[in-house]
Amino acid sequence: MRFNEKELVFLSRQPSEMAAELGMKGHKKGDVIKRRLVKLVVNFLFYFRTDEEEPMGALLLEQCRVDREDRQSFSITFLDEAERKYLFECDSEEQCREWMDSIIKASYEFMRKNLIFYRTEIHRLTGKDPLEQYGISDETRFQVSNGLQMTSGETSSL
Amino acid sequence: MKLDEKLVTYFESCNSPVDKQGYLYKKGEIKTSYQKRWCVLKGNLLFYKESASDRDLTGVIVLEGCTVQLCESEEQFAFSLVWSEPGLRTYKFAADDQASQESWIKALLSANHGYLSLLLMDLEKKYRDALAAFPRETAKPFTMPNFGATGTDFSAAYRSRQLSTLPSNKAPAAAGAAAASALSNSATLHALSYPTRPTVKSSPKQLPRRNINAVPLNIPDMPMGEWSSFCVNAEDDFSKLHEDFGKEVKELIARWSRQKRDGRVVQEEDLIDFG
Repeated sequence: MRFNEKELVFLSRQPSEMAAELGMKGHKKGDVIKRRLVKLVVNFLFYFRTDEEEPMGALLLEQCRVDREDRQSFSITFLDEAERKYLFECDSEEQCREWMDSIIKASYEFMRKNLIFYRTEIHRLTGKDPLEQYGISDETRFQVSNGLQMTSGETSSL
Repeated sequence: MKLDEKLVTYFESCNSPVDKQGYLYKKGEIKTSYQKRWCVLKGNLLFYKESASDRDLTGVIVLEGCTVQLCESEEQFAFSLVWSEPGLRTYKFAADDQASQESWIKALLSANHGYLSLLLMDLEKKYRDALAAFPRETAKPFTMPNFGATGTDFSAAYRSRQLSTLPSNKAPAAAGAAAASALSNSATLHALSYPTRPTVKSSPKQLPRRNINAVPLNIPDMPMGEWSSFCVNAEDDFSKLHEDFGKEVKELIARWSRQKRDGRVVQEEDLIDFG
């Protein structure tokens, strides 16, 4: 599968609040914890060998679950597979909480759910749909019922 | 750099909502001819494969850091994704008709993470304002409609005990109010990307208990953290951004239509195209 690697590397260089050296352990058997520079940019988690400019790897933070492992570490489980789990060790409880929080909030699924929630609530409280003023109330991605993938045909939501 | 491709392909094939999909002609990366591709837009990822029924993905384009431009090409209804950084390629597409072209341009423009993040901040503020304006309205415990109840999709993935409910005062990385990038008269539509952080004044405030019952996710044992309200001018920023987008799209389409009428050819910028 082709992907725009250069653009992704470019993305990894963008400024980010969530960038720190953490212990990281991959999901494969036999993987050990290594210190990596971990950086969260939009919904991607990049990890670098310390002092290297180009990232070693990138993880798409969608369809994943974040769990507390112990006081200072958390894990990200992908694909709902217990085996596909990455472990991260932080330097403090606070840091651990920050990272977990940021990763959870990075996904489009999270943003969408919250958008729909706010939209519904604002409408309930004020009688107005807040997306109307922007002319985006018909976009399929903001519909409450939109939970399943479209099956066929071109969508003309916009 | 190693991209965990399985995560990406899984995301495309899973039940999560599709923002837009349809056939587009895509200019080849090696061959220069346009090839018909089934394109699926989910979030900031544009997937493409040979046909709708194909299970294998040909490729994916991460839509961060790029602008969407109309371009003149051998094909009608063409547009391109352009990165400003030298060395990054341009992706050229062509739609079947003007409606499809406009629709795709709009979708791709607002696909980036920062756009949605900004909109979210805007709505969050509106929600807090609404709660303040209607103090007697008890927020009923809100149950998110349980879409995707088949189990293997994202609703299952979110049954984590550790999830937070609503955005706290720490905005997600790389998100934040955009200074809507200086929108000039040029024919480029600037996708909102790498927005600068707003100056956020956060003051932790404990909301009355009854309002905290309103949760966006149907998870009963959520730890209810402190609600931090921040006085960022999210509304102004997103409104302006949205206005600017709308203006740009109109200008762009009008300009293009005029030029078509006049028979002029739009000169594309010279971009390094590593093909």
